[in-house]
Amino acid sequence: MNPFTLFIIGILQAILLLLLAPLYSGFARVMRAKIHSRTGPPLMQNYRDIRKLMTRQEVVSEQAGWIFRVTPYVNLACMFLAAMVIPALTTASPLEAAGDLILIVYLFALPRFFLAIAGLESGSTMAGIGARRELLISALVEPILLLVIFVMALLAGTTNLGRISTEVATGVFPFSLAYLLGLAAFAFAAYIEMGKLPFDLGEAEQELQEGPLAEYSGRSLAILKWSVYLKQLVLVALFMALFIPFGAMTELSIVGFILALIVFPLKAALWYFIAAIFENAMARTRFMNAPAVVWMALGMALLSFVFYLANV
Amino acid sequence: MTSMILASILLPFAGGLLTLILPRGWIKAFSVVVSLLAGAAGIYVLAAFTAAGKVDSNADLLYIGQWLIYGVTLDKLSVLIGAALGLVGFLIVVYSTGYLTDKNREHPEQEVERRFYFFLLLFIGSMAGLVFSSTMLGLLVFFELTGVCSWGLIGYYDNEKARKAALKAIITTQVASLGLYAATAYFFALTGGTRLSDMAALTDGAKTAIFAGVLIAGYGKSAQLPFHFWLPDAMAAPTPISAYLHAASMVKVGVYIFARCIVSAGSVPRIIGIVGASLAIVTMVYGFAMYFPQRDMKKLLAYSTITQLSYIFFGLSVSILGSQLAFNGAVMHIFNHAFAKSLFFLVAGALAYVTGTRMLPNLRGVMKKLPLIGVCFTVAALAVTGVPPLNAFFSKFSIFAGGFQAAQMNPWLYALVVVAILESVGSFAWIFWVFSNAAAGQPSEEVAAAAPLHPAMAFVLVTLAALTLISGVFAAAWMG
Amino acid sequence: MTSIQFFVLALTLYLVGALLSLFASPRTSRGVAAFFGLIGSVSAVLAVILALTEGTPPSLTLFAIQPFGEFAFQMDLLSTLMVALIALVGVATSLYSFSDAPANVSVSFFTDLFMASMLVVVTVTNAFYFLVFWEVMTLASYFLVVWEFDKKESAKTGFIYFLVAHIGAALIMVTFFLFFGETNTFNFAGIRAATLPPVVKDIAFVLAFLGFGAKAGMVPLHFWTPDTYAAAPNHVSALMASVMKKTAVYGILRFCVDLLGGSVLWWGFTVLTFGALSTVFGAFYALSEKDIKRLLALSSVENVGIILMGVGLGMVGLALPFPTLAVMGFLAALYHMLNHAFFKGLLFLGAGSVIDKTGTRDLNLMGGLSRRMPWTALTFLVGTLAVTAIPPLNGFVSEWFIYQALLNAAGSDLFALRVFAPLFAVSLALAGAFAVMVYVKAYGGAFAGPARSENARFAKDPSAASVVSLVYLALGTIVLGLGAPWIAPRIAAVAADFAKQPLIAVSAGWTILPGNPLVSIVSTPLVAILALGLLIVPVIVVAAYGGWRASRRSNVEPWSNGYGYAAVMSVRASSFDQPVKVSFRPLYWVRTLVERPYRAAANFYNAAVESVRRAEPVVENAVTRPTLKLVETAGQWIQTLQMGDIRLYCLYIIITLAILLVVLFGGSGS
Repeated sequence: MNPFTLFIIGILQAILLLLLAPLYSGFARVMRAKIHSRTGPPLMQNYRDIRKLMTRQEVVSEQAGWIFRVTPYVNLACMFLAAMVIPALTTASPLEAAGDLILIVYLFALPRFFLAIAGLESGSTMAGIGARRELLISALVEPILLLVIFVMALLAGTTNLGRISTEVATGVFPFSLAYLLGLAAFAFAAYIEMGKLPFDLGEAEQELQEGPLAEYSGRSLAILKWSVYLKQLVLVALFMALFIPFGAMTELSIVGFILALIVFPLKAALWYFIAAIFENAMARTRFMNAPAVVWMALGMALLSFVFYLANV
Repeated sequence: MTSMILASILLPFAGGLLTLILPRGWIKAFSVVVSLLAGAAGIYVLAAFTAAGKVDSNADLLYIGQWLIYGVTLDKLSVLIGAALGLVGFLIVVYSTGYLTDKNREHPEQEVERRFYFFLLLFIGSMAGLVFSSTMLGLLVFFELTGVCSWGLIGYYDNEKARKAALKAIITTQVASLGLYAATAYFFALTGGTRLSDMAALTDGAKTAIFAGVLIAGYGKSAQLPFHFWLPDAMAAPTPISAYLHAASMVKVGVYIFARCIVSAGSVPRIIGIVGASLAIVTMVYGFAMYFPQRDMKKLLAYSTITQLSYIFFGLSVSILGSQLAFNGAVMHIFNHAFAKSLFFLVAGALAYVTGTRMLPNLRGVMKKLPLIGVCFTVAALAVTGVPPLNAFFSKFSIFAGGFQAAQMNPWLYALVVVAILESVGSFAWIFWVFSNAAAGQPSEEVAAAAPLHPAMAFVLVTLAALTLISGVFAAAWMG
Repeated sequence: MTSIQFFVLALTLYLVGALLSLFASPRTSRGVAAFFGLIGSVSAVLAVILALTEGTPPSLTLFAIQPFGEFAFQMDLLSTLMVALIALVGVATSLYSFSDAPANVSVSFFTDLFMASMLVVVTVTNAFYFLVFWEVMTLASYFLVVWEFDKKESAKTGFIYFLVAHIGAALIMVTFFLFFGETNTFNFAGIRAATLPPVVKDIAFVLAFLGFGAKAGMVPLHFWTPDTYAAAPNHVSALMASVMKKTAVYGILRFCVDLLGGSVLWWGFTVLTFGALSTVFGAFYALSEKDIKRLLALSSVENVGIILMGVGLGMVGLALPFPTLAVMGFLAALYHMLNHAFFKGLLFLGAGSVIDKTGTRDLNLMGGLSRRMPWTALTFLVGTLAVTAIPPLNGFVSEWFIYQALLNAAGSDLFALRVFAPLFAVSLALAGAFAVMVYVKAYGGAFAGPARSENARFAKDPSAASVVSLVYLALGTIVLGLGAPWIAPRIAAVAADFAKQPLIAVSAGWTILPGNPLVSIVSTPLVAILALGLLIVPVIVVAAYGGWRASRRSNVEPWSNGYGYAAVMSVRASSFDQPVKVSFRPLYWVRTLVERPYRAAANFYNAAVESVRRAEPVVENAVTRPTLKLVETAGQWIQTLQMGDIRLYCLYIIITLAILLVVLFGGSGS
């Protein structure tokens, strides 16, 4: 497809994801309420919260430096960039020169880094502890992500996300047990990265009052929350692009575009649905137990790698 | 040039004899002048030899009937060593004028003693005579003379310990010198004279016998196993003497006669090389092991001298097994070690002079309180342990490289060279550790109360440090 | 002037600076050394620029000492890259040392000498002179490390450093001897041209790898780095970490790959494995440090591991043979060398400023410096973003190339590679995640949060020259990252020339690619532009909601559950390690395991010294005394012959006469 068209689609896709992100978070919350047998806040509550927060006065701790102030904007910009380059509506990456898998994984480190520093800058204890935990979890999850990516890249012969996506969508990709195990491991890793229970250790509401988010208020909090929602949706989009890209456009056409516009939100909703079921079947675990579970995911990833080696 | 050589031999002899009758007040200055002239003569010979294109030559001087008693030989070996020993001799005399005074906190001297300068000047002359000698008889005569001077100087302080040490030294070296006597007699019987260059015409068996005798004498004089035990005790001598005799020159007599015989003999029987290399390594390891219990700085340096001499023996033996580079390295090491080790000893002497002690546990923080001595201490430690760009590195490197060269034909040699390299690294570790402990940190009591250093001693220390810095490259370029 | 003339000029300027600073007062010596260091470095940069335009590698022969060989310089592409590295970082450290180096004559003298010796080491073409100047480099850095020699700790640190370096140099020396024994020459050209038996090559590789690896600080020979870098003056730590370690890697490249051919498979694997181990352990141990310089030192170990991974991959590529992998591996290694020099130099100099102003190296006693030292904070941030491989800065670019090389290797036919390459990629990712933690700790501890000590409250930015040096390095970091599409091909050319393989395409237009555009493409300038440009999105979003009208208050304390806030409530740097220490306990256990043999060795040593002390007088007692006693006894026994009685003497004479008569006449008579 024409790169310029792809770029426009990319922007559109990113705006779509941006607008949809609070909706999906709301959806997860509604699911939780239903499973808890209560009514809970309505589906669109997140949008109302954001609107309300935007008009409130911002209160910032006196020790906070410029990183604290800039973090929400940087995070949103980064996630918007990721949303632009991950194939969601098309199987090709809208921005091929930034659609490299390794780039995307490392790009997630930027918001994480800034958020952690912002947590430390405010000087609040909760934020600091939250930052620390957040970093540890990501340290444990990144190797898994990378191993699965490597296996997929080896199977497809490229680390270009668009190309892998196209291969899987058109059936050219060598499907195998390695692929299935990789799917499971990546799903697990994405689940952890999204901060779903029992892994919401960074923002453990019961313990840390939202961790690094604790000191934010007003418009900064609104943008930061939005970037958190967007990050979760982007992770889902990444998973879909890698493993289940069916429904996205391979060739540019009006029919395909409309189809993609319908299929993608449905796929995302399905993911959030399944995740919500898992999430609410358990309570948040002690922090020190988390690594043990993560090793399990690593084991799955290793198994997928072994299967790849054995050509199964 | 021959007259200059004779001057460097005879001037000190004459000067030494004169010190016995000169007024006391003149002795110091007179000795300095005499040794300066002798040293200058040696350097002149070096310069002239180099300018003349480093061509070997001989001059026969003293006959009895048709037997050549003494002649002089000019080649790279004799010229280089002769210049070095003359220069160091001068520096030692200057140092002694400062050291042997009443300001010395360890061994204060009330008045100038004639016998010191007498023996010292005599010794300088004997060394020159030995180095330039072209006959084995000459080697033997000056060999014995140096032994007598050494006895006189070790026992200089005239206490129980010094006397015993002097006696031990002379008896050990005398017993060992029987080897040289036997070799000379045998040589005379075979060739009807003792001209060294005649050695090339002898049979392998004869050469082996002569070399055996020479080696025994050399081991005794150069404190190798099994004749090594006199050297640590000889540290009872005044420090300038330890520096000159027992580091720079007398102990080099042993290696020198070995080197001279190698040069004269043309092709040397392999068995000498094998035995020499093996015994050298044994001494090296033994000397190294003996570092660890030493608390007296001079005794540590004595054992270090033993190991350095075994390097030279090793290099010379390896050269017999087929490497000219090892021979050059050994000769360069004689040259370089003279400067480096005497600097180290003189630093020890300076420390004893200003603080009254030379015990290592009492010497701390030297660099902070005594920067000049500290810097020279650093240079000496680095030089002796073979760190470039200081001098000993170049000679040690040549010996090792020569060892690897010769090992092509003699694979068992690889093991010996590796042991030597290991010992070198170990020596570095220990000596540098000792140095580091003594130089760094806060000054200990003795160091904090240090007296000022005599200017003559300071001058000598700085000169030797400078020489240590440049002599390595100079020797390498000159020999190559 | 030609390139080599500028090079010689650079050396001369360094040496002149060193000598002049010996005769100046301590304060003046600092300025003199800094000035000559600066113009010397600039001259070297000019030499590099000219060398790139000249057709043939510039070379110069000074003199020859037989049989060691000629003392000659040659700037082939690899050497030119190394000179560029040294010079570019040298500019920064010289600028920094104008006012922020210790005012100490010894430091000034040895700094310039250090830089000069490094320049010689990377351009000389003879093994003997290489070794001489290698040790001179160690010697100069030793004196720099022990500049505060009146502290006992300092002396011990320096000694250990020198010992490890000396042992490494001895290993390298034996390698050279092996070459010399076979080829009778020390010249690189001669060694390169000779065919050595495989056994000799293998032994030479092991010795050289260990020797240079000790200097490069790879695991398990890294233990000297934290103490040494912490003890050295700040600008020297920067030089040592950024530049000296690279000369060690240069040694591995020059000797193991260039001279020995580098095409033995297990060599590449060994280098690759040690690289991966260094990467993981370096990052991990850095996490447990609260001294900022020790933290940075261990992080350097991690980065050297990454460089060695690249070198190992290149060597494997040469051995298989797999030309694309060879060039990519070396490209990644060389690019990371250059990148690391810049960002690690930046981090050390920034840390140096922080240490000077707060008077402490302890991260737990800093804090809040981002408002009081804005320039330092900003440049340090750039450095941390680079070292944690966050796109689009330079650390990411070279790590990306390593990943692509690993991917390439994983696709090869060799089963061992197919198994290990992805695993090494995982270890790199793990180390990367640790690195993020390490640097959040470093930056957060130093610059974020409240001021945790008196000095931190009143810190301010260093002098103008130092700030310029920090900004210069930060700009360099950014340029190396964003300019990757234009810089990568040049480094690939160096790699291809050095490995003697055909050049591969690593860039197209504004993107970089791993030899084959179908595998992947990345455009760092594009990412940078987008990331900055997309900042407008949240701004628009806020505007859409009318959020910009709301005000902001910033005079409050952080929320502390209703208690009064105190600075001790903030999370300090040391809090970062605890969860990791618990989760990864086995990795720390390795460290404690190493301590046991050390204690055993210390006990053995004491016992050995005792036995030697007892052995010393053995000869004396066993030989000398009995001999003397024997002689005395014999003498006394013989003395009995001389009784003093004249009649006995007459008897002796008669007996002798009788015997003589019998012998002389008895025999002839009959």
